[in-house]
Amino acid sequence: MQEAILFLADGSMFPGTSFGAPPLELSRLTPGVALEKGAGEVVFNTAMSGYHEVLTDPSYMGQIVTMTYPHVGNYGDDDEWSEVGPEPSSERSGVKVAAIVLRSLYDGPVGHGRTSLPDFLSRHGTPGITDVDTRGLTLHLRDEGSSNGVIVAAPEGFQRRRAEETISQEFRARVLEYLRAFPVMEGRNLVTEVGTTAEEIINPEGSPHVALLDCGVKGNIVRELVSRGARVSVWPSSADPEAILADSPDALVVSNGPGDPAVLGDQIKSVKRLMNEKPTLGVCLGHQLISEAVGAKTYKMKFGHHGVNHPVRDEQTGKVFVTSQNHGFAVEEESLPENVTVWLKNANDGSIEGIKLTDLPVLSAQFHPEASPGPRDARWIFEDFMELVRSK
Amino acid sequence: MPARGDIQSVLIIGSGPIVIGQACEFDYSGNQAVRALREEGYRVILVNPNPATVMTTPGIADAIYMDPLTVPYLDRILEQEKPDAVLPTMGGQTALNLTIELGEAGVLEKHGVEVLGAPIESIQIAEDRGKFKDVIASIGLESPHSAFIHKVSEGHAFVSEVGLPVIIRPSYTLGGKGGSIAETRGEFEELLKWALSESPVHTALVEESLLGWKEFELEVMRDNFDNAVVVCSIENVDAMGIHTGDSITVAPIQTLSDREYQEMRTAAIEILRAVGVDCGGSNVQFAVNPDTGRMVVIEMNPRVSRSSALASKATGFPIARCAARLAVGFTLDEVINDITGQTVSCFEPSLDYAAVKIPRFELEKFPQGYATLGTAMKSVGESLAIGRTYLSALNKAIRAAEIGFEGIEELDMNEEELWSMAARLHPRRIFAVYSLLKRLGGENMDRISRLTGYDRWGLHQLLTLAALEHEIEAAGSSSPPADLLFRAKREGISDRRIATLLGTGAREVEAMRVAENMHACYHFVDTCSGEFAAETPYFYSAYGEIDEGAALGERGVVILGSGPNRIGQGLEFDTCCTLSSISYRELDRATVMINSNPETVSTDFNVSDRLYLEPLTAEDVKEIIRKEGVRDVVVQLGGQTALNMAEELEAAGARIVGTPVKRIHDAEDRGLFYNVMKRIGLDQPQSAMAPSRAEVERLAGEIGYPVLLRPSYVLGGRSMGIAYTPEELREFLQRDIVVSEERPVLVDQFLEDAFEYDLDAVSDGEQVYVGGIMQHIEAAGIHSGDSACVFPAYKVNRTALTKMKEAAAAIARELGVVGFLNIQFAVQNEIVYVLEVNPRASRTVPYLSKSSGVNLVAVAVRIWEGQDLRAQGLVTPDTEVLPGVAEGHCVVGWAVKEAVFSFDRFPEVDPLLGPEMRSTGEAIGIGQSFGESFAKATSSAGSELPTEGRVFVSIHDSDKATLLPVVRELSDLGFSIMATRGTADFLFQHGVFSEVVLKVHEGHPNVVDHLDAGRIDLVINTPLGRYTQRDDDYIRIQALRHRVPYTTTSSAAEAALEGIKYLSRGEVAAEPLPEPVRAY
Ligand SMILES: Nc1ncnc2c1ncn2[C@@H]1O[C@H](COP(=O)(O)OP(=O)(O)O)[C@@H](O)[C@H]1O
Ligand SMILES: Nc1ncnc2c1ncn2[C@@H]1O[C@H](COP(=O)(O)OP(=O)(O)O)[C@@H](O)[C@H]1O
Ligand SMILES: [Mg+2]
Ligand SMILES: [Mg+2]
Repeated sequence: MQEAILFLADGSMFPGTSFGAPPLELSRLTPGVALEKGAGEVVFNTAMSGYHEVLTDPSYMGQIVTMTYPHVGNYGDDDEWSEVGPEPSSERSGVKVAAIVLRSLYDGPVGHGRTSLPDFLSRHGTPGITDVDTRGLTLHLRDEGSSNGVIVAAPEGFQRRRAEETISQEFRARVLEYLRAFPVMEGRNLVTEVGTTAEEIINPEGSPHVALLDCGVKGNIVRELVSRGARVSVWPSSADPEAILADSPDALVVSNGPGDPAVLGDQIKSVKRLMNEKPTLGVCLGHQLISEAVGAKTYKMKFGHHGVNHPVRDEQTGKVFVTSQNHGFAVEEESLPENVTVWLKNANDGSIEGIKLTDLPVLSAQFHPEASPGPRDARWIFEDFMELVRSK
Repeated sequence: MPARGDIQSVLIIGSGPIVIGQACEFDYSGNQAVRALREEGYRVILVNPNPATVMTTPGIADAIYMDPLTVPYLDRILEQEKPDAVLPTMGGQTALNLTIELGEAGVLEKHGVEVLGAPIESIQIAEDRGKFKDVIASIGLESPHSAFIHKVSEGHAFVSEVGLPVIIRPSYTLGGKGGSIAETRGEFEELLKWALSESPVHTALVEESLLGWKEFELEVMRDNFDNAVVVCSIENVDAMGIHTGDSITVAPIQTLSDREYQEMRTAAIEILRAVGVDCGGSNVQFAVNPDTGRMVVIEMNPRVSRSSALASKATGFPIARCAARLAVGFTLDEVINDITGQTVSCFEPSLDYAAVKIPRFELEKFPQGYATLGTAMKSVGESLAIGRTYLSALNKAIRAAEIGFEGIEELDMNEEELWSMAARLHPRRIFAVYSLLKRLGGENMDRISRLTGYDRWGLHQLLTLAALEHEIEAAGSSSPPADLLFRAKREGISDRRIATLLGTGAREVEAMRVAENMHACYHFVDTCSGEFAAETPYFYSAYGEIDEGAALGERGVVILGSGPNRIGQGLEFDTCCTLSSISYRELDRATVMINSNPETVSTDFNVSDRLYLEPLTAEDVKEIIRKEGVRDVVVQLGGQTALNMAEELEAAGARIVGTPVKRIHDAEDRGLFYNVMKRIGLDQPQSAMAPSRAEVERLAGEIGYPVLLRPSYVLGGRSMGIAYTPEELREFLQRDIVVSEERPVLVDQFLEDAFEYDLDAVSDGEQVYVGGIMQHIEAAGIHSGDSACVFPAYKVNRTALTKMKEAAAAIARELGVVGFLNIQFAVQNEIVYVLEVNPRASRTVPYLSKSSGVNLVAVAVRIWEGQDLRAQGLVTPDTEVLPGVAEGHCVVGWAVKEAVFSFDRFPEVDPLLGPEMRSTGEAIGIGQSFGESFAKATSSAGSELPTEGRVFVSIHDSDKATLLPVVRELSDLGFSIMATRGTADFLFQHGVFSEVVLKVHEGHPNVVDHLDAGRIDLVINTPLGRYTQRDDDYIRIQALRHRVPYTTTSSAAEAALEGIKYLSRGEVAAEPLPEPVRAY
């Protein structure tokens, strides 16, 4: 077992043991060059199950995910649970996170037909680090905000209990130099890396016909739509809106996806055009794009919402749902124009969790009604949306 | 929705005495509910005849009743208090069943009382296994294949259909009582009959066996706006077939994929909705086939439960507190989570640790009762530990259970024995499994998994531990690399265990650790995995991670709790610890509570300034003291567990509060103590140590029969015994006991027909306040914890009482007692003997505090804080009964305490009482006469004294003279008397007619047949000598099964008569506890 260290941009170190793909060697860190794996924004996720769904969720592109629950890998991995895009597309399959950080990896036997977590990560070229003080790391991220980080192989002679003394100034300086030059999440456009590149049609016989603007859609959004009978046309998020309209869909779904919504000018323009024509549902990034499209602003949250336990209140009925969430940006309430009502709010911090337009059949949710992982309490949103579409 | 304004007062029903399956978790939940409702401005009335509880402490509720939990008394209380509503979901099955009865009897309607929490119809659905199954099917979920059986013949038909084995489960019983697994047809018939008789509605469910399936529990909360959350998920390490209460469990669920888990979560919420639990918490249990993933619903409890207490402690989410708020109209998003202070209660807790629960069994007390575990609960307590990994939590929980293991350890058995133990549902099975894995390695994992139903995930963890232990062993006694020690500590292995593995001493390991500056660090239990900063300091330990929370410093005082419940050390001690924390905080000290028992009030996060859910071992306590920078440690309140640590803690620099450690030692050591007694001129029964069997016989002859024998080492069995004759002595010695130089047998003169008294006092070293002297109803020879007892002493001999007070003062001064002192006396022929002295708070402190109106714990804490008894105004020239001695008085008329047993859990065990304690709980009866309080205590303890019918009498010669007037009076009251031949002859000679009844071996119909037929309403049976009266066993066992009151001593029979005379008058009086004499 190889020792590795997670470094944060502020210089803090979290030693552990490497698994999955090998950790980065110091020599591979060239300032200004973003690596696909091993480096990224460090966030924590508080879900106690569902690591496989997290690993394969395109919204986590470019992020190093710390699981706060210590035991991970317990029931293995199964491609069937993957969240990477609509079913048949194999070229997009795999692990989306840049790396995973754990307290206690399970690497024992798993059920028939499943793969162990270390094997699964190796297969997809993703490094992991375990035996880490994930509690300390989480409190750090909570108090200081999320930060960039990189997992590097520990140098010769490193001892975790004497980390400060056994790491050289030079080693640390080079890692920090790399991290300082690493692009921050604000202003990063990652959707083109994870969304589909060509139109795909799922369930061609189905109805109604839903056009899905794919910014890195989770598989379960497609499954939720298809299970309600829909034919789903998956479009690259950069597709020409006129081409989409020419395909005469009955409705539009704007998917989730990674990164900062504010920089997705093309997508915002498309959404603006399309939602004027078709009933529209936005999920997560999709919700943020719709908000931008109506002129509202988004902002980067201190450490975001990443978990499956967030209470969301329906402001009209007062009912509360436990939801699955994964977002680092949110919509500013003050910036919402007149024709928007706040539909859903977070019952803990009051942040906006969903909006409706008063003049158009457009609604959106900041969280993940498709769950996966997480509670299925909000699946009725798909139900309601399909009803809305059918009624038009 | 805001709190309901249309109700002003709420009645909360408690769960009554502690029995297996219903323990102090209901004191915890009831207490939370009372506090929550009072905070919302409601007037709260409480009924609970359990004197050991915190909730019945004056001041906790607005009105506290300690009357029997029966319809007539509740009717009376409702009449007097006129509450607007009743909350039945806090008092376990007892409160639910009583509420159903109240509803059926029309009492609720009569008083216009609304039921909060779960409506009666929902309770009925959830509790009736048949109706419940229908509901499950109606929402598209699966239940085990089953049939609802009323008659044995129906049962046979069902078995012909599904085959054996089958599970038999009676409707409406506690903790699976009466439940069983039948393997053969013969067994089936017998077990089914038993189940039908156990069920109050005489129905049972017979169902397909799911032995070996994975078992899970979810704790769900739902509000009346249909919002729902799952507070905690629990996985049973022991698969289906072992009751969840007897299983090792881990929270959260470890081995379900997210898809499987979410399916279960959704199902659980739908079940609450379908059953109609509108506001409150419920526990839903599932089984999952490990091969196919098929999910089946086992049951739901529409109330707070043992599991919800566990879940509250495992997550930090106060389920009962929240449930009480929901019951009065709040919704989940309106109830702020007290731990974070900034999230709402519909934020599902997320854990960043594992919480492991270990059951504690009474293998020594009931060896025959534990051959195998099953679907009926048998454990008496549990310990919970939290760790960053499953192994660390498991190791900590095991050492916290105080069952003689330091953590997971291998057993000293051969391979064959290990396999056979692993194949059985044995309480020690996990140790056998570990032994196999450690010895044989991982190749056997699949085989073990199939054999035991243990998931491979958990077995793999054990395998990791085995590898680590092998590494440590290989390091030998030469100091192991610090890195290895570090890894061991991170997995929760104790210094002592490491020492054993290294072949060195715990002190040496501790020294190595300290040299490396390797100390425990502490994390918050924060309900949110660190996402929000916690406000409530509730901690658990880890190694090598961030250390959270600042030290309290010398302002703090550590209170050592009493650990898992066990026979002899239970709720009473927890109440003392909790009350002391309250008192200390009133005096501006900051308290640090350490305890591992998840059922308790003391482990509620708002009882103390700091809460540590940690094992009560010297190592763990020392680390906490170090972290908090606290010096003062209270050891007098946590029973023997706390007291036993005193020396080691003092050696480590702690200041033991109150009585000096050396003097505690003097009182604990029987030999030393004997000398102290001699010096101050008090009588003790003659006694001697016998180092061999021959010596036992010789010394017994010398001391004179009968003798009381206390071996210091027993193989898996009962230890104490009384021998009346040399033959009985020999029979006793033939049992599995060791007698040697190192393990001598203590031979005591047995004080026959002596009255026993219990005295609790508080002393400041000079002055002594005697809280009260209680008299036992059973004669000496029946353990003080098992005997009914009455305050004030009812057969009073003033000189004897004075002598006891003098003795208390002399002992307190001689030992330098600062704080608590408990003495047991026996009085025979006017001579007062000291049987035992305990330099700590005893079991009777809460009972005595309530009935004397003086909170003795508050008095002791004030002494420890420097206010002596004079300064407190308790010992003053006006109150002194002896120089420097004052005494408390009963302020409630009469208070009888009756012991409560859980023998029905152990059908194989003879329920005869002796010098070893076997009761699990106690009930109180308060009244204006001895008879009234005795009758109430009996009723609260679970059986009703009859006012008419038949009394069966079978008495030993030596009791005949004493009992004759009792029997005669019963006969005069209109009872018909049935007696065995000898007794009948004796009665006839003295002019009392009786029907002669055959003994068991004399043919049919015999006494047992009559009991079975319900023809006997009271049993008076006084056997003599413990090992000769096998014949009587059946009578007692049968009486117990049919809940017929039975007395085994003449004094108990006399007391029963008093009670019967009271009941015959037909009064139903209920009074709330009066204001305490002294307010603190
Ligand atoms: N069909 C079954 N097959 C095997 N074990 C069972 C079955 N049903 C219940 N059990 C076991 O019996 C225990 C008690 O059953 P349960 O229905 O939960 O009753 P209780 O009300 O006593 O908790 C369960 O925890 C489970 O281990
Ligand atoms: N010499 C004796 N004569 C009669 N009964 C005795 C004698 N010694 C003890 N007992 C009985 O045995 C019980 C238990 O003995 P005790 O010394 O109090 O042990 P424990 O530590 O279990 O409380 C007492 O409550 C009393 O009823
Ligand atoms: Mg159960
Ligand atoms: Mg005693």
